[in-house]
Amino acid sequence: MKKRLSLSIILAVALGVIAAQSQTPKAPSSVPTVNSAAAAEIRVIDLDGLKKLLQRDANEPRPLLVNFWASWCDGCREEFPDLVKIDQDYRARGLNFLSVTVDELEDKAQAASFIEEMKAKMPVVLLNVADKEPAIHAIDMNWDGALPATFIYDKNGTVSYRHFGKISPAELRTAIDKQLGTKQ
Amino acid sequence: MKKYFTVFLIVASLLVVALAAISSIGRTVSDLPAPPAIGTVIDDFKLPDADGKEHSLKALAGAKGAVILFIATKCPVSNAYNDRMEKLAEDYQAKGVNVVGINSNMTEPAAEVKSHAAEKGLKFTILKDEGNKIADRFGATHTPEAYVLDANMKLVYHGRIDNSQRPEGITSNDLRDALNELLAGKAISKTGGAAFGCSIKRVS
Repeated sequence: MKKRLSLSIILAVALGVIAAQSQTPKAPSSVPTVNSAAAAEIRVIDLDGLKKLLQRDANEPRPLLVNFWASWCDGCREEFPDLVKIDQDYRARGLNFLSVTVDELEDKAQAASFIEEMKAKMPVVLLNVADKEPAIHAIDMNWDGALPATFIYDKNGTVSYRHFGKISPAELRTAIDKQLGTKQ
Repeated sequence: MKKYFTVFLIVASLLVVALAAISSIGRTVSDLPAPPAIGTVIDDFKLPDADGKEHSLKALAGAKGAVILFIATKCPVSNAYNDRMEKLAEDYQAKGVNVVGINSNMTEPAAEVKSHAAEKGLKFTILKDEGNKIADRFGATHTPEAYVLDANMKLVYHGRIDNSQRPEGITSNDLRDALNELLAGKAISKTGGAAFGCSIKRVS
C-alpha cells in the first residue's frame, strides 16, 4: 500500500512539473499586427518590402515569427495547422507572426484559398521577386531555399531561431517561450 | 529507511523531468549537417539504384567529372526540372560529365523512384539513399539541389540548377555555366546559387 502511495506521489509530482513547464504566462492586453492585411488577404511585396517588414522598430519589443511557405510544398501545408494554433496561442502573449508565401504571382489565388481554408489570422504576404537568390540570402545566409523555413527575430532584428523543413511544434513553442522570456 | 527511499525517488524523478525540460530549451539552429566546402574532395560511396543494383560514385562519374542531383518524385519544383535535368544529362555525358540522381526522401520508396523515372523519361542513373546517409554527407537540404565534382572528385559547385522553376523565366543558367567553365579548364566564377525547393524528407 505504502509502495503504491509513494509511486502515486512521484507520478503526481512529475506530472505537476511537466504541466508547469507547458503552462503559459499571462497575456498582455494589446494585440498589435505586423501589417494591415486582413485575414485571407495576401499583400504582394518585393524584396525591399520584405526587408522593411523584417526590420525591427525600436518601439516594438515583440519578437517576430516568420514562416516561409508555398502552396506547392507538402511540408508547408502539413505544418500550417500547427502554425495557426501557435499564432492563436501566442498573439496575445506578445508574439508577432508574419507568413510569407513564395508562390508565383500567378498562384496567388491558390495561396489565398489555402490561407482561408486554414482559417489563418496572421498577416500573409507574397514575395514577388524574379530571382529568388538575393531574397534567400538577404533573409539568412545559412538558408539555401529549402521549404518550409521558420525564423524567430528578436527585438533587435537578430535571427534567434531558425528551422528548415517541417517544424516540431514543441520545439518552436519552446523557442518562442524563450524569446518572450516566459521560460528560462 | 523506506521514507528516505521514497524521498530519494521523488528527488530523482524531479531531476529527470527538470533535465529533460532544460535540454529542450535553447536550440536555435537547424540540426542539418553542413555541406562540404567548395574544394573538398568527396569520398567515394556506394548506393543501390531503384532495382537494387549497387553503384559506386567513381564508377558512375564521367572522365571529366560528375553532377549529383538530389531529386524527388513528388516535389513539384523537382518535377518542374525533369526535362531540364534529362537534357543536361544528355548534353554533358557526351562531354565527359555524367549526371547521377539521388533520391533521399524517406517517403519515396525505390519502386516509386523507378516508376517515376520511367514516366518522366529520366534516363540517367538514380540512386536510392535509404536513411539519407549520403544527403547528410553532402548537407543536401532540398530538391532539386546540384553538386558538381571535377575529375578528381573535388567539389566545384553546389546549389541551384538555374534561377527559375519556369523555363521561360530563366536568366541565369548557373549549373550549365559552371559545367562549361569546368570543361574549359577555367575557374568556376559562381560556385553556388540558392533557389526555393522542397525539403528532403529525412528519417527522424
